[in-house]
Amino acid sequence: MRKYIFIFKTTFLESLQYTLNIILGFVSFFVVLFVFLNLWQYIYADSTNLISGYSMEQMIWYVIITEIIFFGTRNRTLTGQMTSDIKSGTIAYNMNKPYNYIYYIVSRHLGEITLRFFLYLGIGILIGYHFVGGLAGFQAVNLILIVPVFLLGTLINSFLRMCISILSFWMEDAGPYHWIYDKIIIVVGTLFPVEMFPDWAQPLIKFSPIYVVTYGPAKLVIDFSMEMLWRVLLAQGIYLGITIIIITVMYQKGVKKLNVNGG
Amino acid sequence: MKAIQVKNLSKTFKVKVKEKGFRGSMSSIIKPRYKSILAVDNISFEVEQGEILAFIGPNGAGKSTTIKMLTGILYPNNGEVSVMNINPCAKRKQLAYKIGTVFGQKEQLWTHLTPYDNFKFFGAIYDLADTVIEERINELKKTFELEEFINTPVRNLSLGQRIRCEIVASLIHKPEVLFLDEPTIGLDPVVKENIRELIKKMNREYQTTVFLTSHDVGDIEKLCKRIIIVNHGRIVLDDSMEHLKYHYLNKKIVEVKMKETVDFTAEEGITVLKSKGGNLKLAIDTTKKKINDALRLIDADNMIDINISNVPLENIITEIYRENKVLL
Amino acid sequence: MLTAAKQQGKVLLLSVKYNIMRQMTNRAAFITNITFMILNNATFIIQWMILFHLKEDIGGYHMNDVMVLWGLAASTYGLSHIFFQTAYNLPDLIINGKLDSYLVQPKNVLLGVISSGTNTSAIGDLLYGYLIICIFRFSIVNLLLFTLFSITGALILTAFAILTGSLSFWIVKGDMISGNLHSVLLHFSTYPDGIFKGIIRLLLYTLIPVGLIIYLPVKMILRFDPFTLLLLLGFTVLIIFLAFFVFYKGLRRYSSSNLMSARI
Repeated sequence: MRKYIFIFKTTFLESLQYTLNIILGFVSFFVVLFVFLNLWQYIYADSTNLISGYSMEQMIWYVIITEIIFFGTRNRTLTGQMTSDIKSGTIAYNMNKPYNYIYYIVSRHLGEITLRFFLYLGIGILIGYHFVGGLAGFQAVNLILIVPVFLLGTLINSFLRMCISILSFWMEDAGPYHWIYDKIIIVVGTLFPVEMFPDWAQPLIKFSPIYVVTYGPAKLVIDFSMEMLWRVLLAQGIYLGITIIIITVMYQKGVKKLNVNGG
Repeated sequence: MKAIQVKNLSKTFKVKVKEKGFRGSMSSIIKPRYKSILAVDNISFEVEQGEILAFIGPNGAGKSTTIKMLTGILYPNNGEVSVMNINPCAKRKQLAYKIGTVFGQKEQLWTHLTPYDNFKFFGAIYDLADTVIEERINELKKTFELEEFINTPVRNLSLGQRIRCEIVASLIHKPEVLFLDEPTIGLDPVVKENIRELIKKMNREYQTTVFLTSHDVGDIEKLCKRIIIVNHGRIVLDDSMEHLKYHYLNKKIVEVKMKETVDFTAEEGITVLKSKGGNLKLAIDTTKKKINDALRLIDADNMIDINISNVPLENIITEIYRENKVLL
Repeated sequence: MLTAAKQQGKVLLLSVKYNIMRQMTNRAAFITNITFMILNNATFIIQWMILFHLKEDIGGYHMNDVMVLWGLAASTYGLSHIFFQTAYNLPDLIINGKLDSYLVQPKNVLLGVISSGTNTSAIGDLLYGYLIICIFRFSIVNLLLFTLFSITGALILTAFAILTGSLSFWIVKGDMISGNLHSVLLHFSTYPDGIFKGIIRLLLYTLIPVGLIIYLPVKMILRFDPFTLLLLLGFTVLIIFLAFFVFYKGLRRYSSSNLMSARI
């Protein structure tokens, strides 16, 4: 464990060098957020105060939080870097090093996104206050319970990404699968909470990664309940277990294939 | 007629000085600091039509910058350039029809296509009619023996075959001047020899003027009648190969194997480089001692073997780089 | 003049043809890229279905109208990226001195550069656009208008990329700026303009010309107006000239330049 913390620390410190680039990268975040906020303001403008049980204020905070999760954790290491490691056979060099490649990549990824995540978080909160003001009924004490949910969500998101990247062992180009995952999260998973989907689609969404990666954490911020917390944590636990198993098995199979073919 | 005329050519670069860290990158955006580098410093020379000229110098001497100014890629700060009586920076497009370029490591061919398709593409770029292109490809194919692989995708060719095609592709429009920037870099000796043959043949068949930069002394020695050496942006030598050799080759290296040790240390004009038993290596300065006089000093009856050679060109050039001054 | 233009066109087409041939050397990846891009775009249908389920009219648009908007955005983007992919990589070429090889060719440098690469998934975008227009608003006239507006849109989009990309001739980090402007344009292009107000709306018809690439054309497909068409054609010609002008101005700086470190 210690070495992974060390990898995390080193990459985090390195990322401080690129603060300026991160700030210039905000534009995309701003714009998406801006478009969505306009969209919701338009939709809420002349209708009743609640849609599917959400007030406009809650809805806008929901979008802000999910966007922070999406943009704050996006990173090339899990996608392009890992794919090119596999394609170029660099992964073979990493095999005889005294660490597990999977956990190495995750530590690096987390180190790289930490600064960015907090920058996005800060900016996102500012935008939220500017647009709709504070969130009614939000209690800071709950944060202690919500933070682990965010952490788990980020971890699961990382593992899911890696499951896709690892397909590169068998496939020419895993890029298109990442697009689809991206789109599922940003199009379906950040704009509306589960309750807004048609009834028949709701169970589907509840079983999808959206529930554990974006919906769960955001829902807990805008409308906390202990019952919800347990439900999300349970789902996250299951997802984490399954993704780790899948990725470990796929990695072993992939590496074996690499050995047989000699890279 | 002169193919290339260069007069008092100069080029300065500004290079950004970047400080480290966050603060550094902040301040470099707000107020970047530059330092000036004089890449080419007041050089003048001329090249005759049909000539093969070697333009050499150590890394960063200003070779590529000069080539870029001759081909219209870069504009000079000062001085005049004319290639086939065209000013490259004023009439870049017009010049492009008359010159060909091969930049050693940068590939211009489409690697997934066959050389044949590539040649057709370059033909189209130079506005050649399809029938003309066909004829030209046939001619080049025969002259440079490409039949074997003209229909194999470039990515499946060996490095040597690929460079061959790179050069031939730049000949599709019958350029009058060809700029070759390190054409033999990274090739094995046999392939190098092949490429040199190709360049020679091209020069002979089409009277193409060749402007060649290279680190490889072999290229220069085997191809060029004239050599220009640049260092720190200046011309340190501009001379014919023959002249160069004549002036610099006033040293001969004599290696002899004698039955017993002989002592030459006292002789004027002879430096003993190595002496071990009967094996001797001597450097003879022919301005001080004629070679036949030197040979007379060696007792022929006592001699087992002898070998007389020139100082290798490579050593001469290294010497010139080091001294970095106009010697002749 | 005419033959020169013809020659230029021939080289351009040949270049695009070869680019696509290169992509096709790996057939499986080629096909996945295209089909997944179509699927990728289709996910947005879900988004709009839910939104219109909440409210019938968004920014003055109904479901079918938004689909036309989406289709036009996709095919515009697709067309531009199939033919002029490298226009979007201009900053990299400028900063790293990679324009050199185009400068020794006797052809228009800008056209040579921007047509030197393609993007496979853009073919998926183009197809998706036509699929949408055929499903949601099929008629011969619409198809013709759609094609015309995809072309003008692609030209404006490319010119915009050249203009912003050319910033790198003068500005450090120009690549970040142009990248950001480009993504701003894309994000706005798939939402009805009716939801934006005030200054932003003004910006969308001027500095970030989404209005002229997408919004006006969509309005014309819904209800044709010859005056708007003339305005659009005029703007297209104007921005193309501007792009050439700025690029060549920058190119002169590149050639007389002192900005590069990698070019000695």
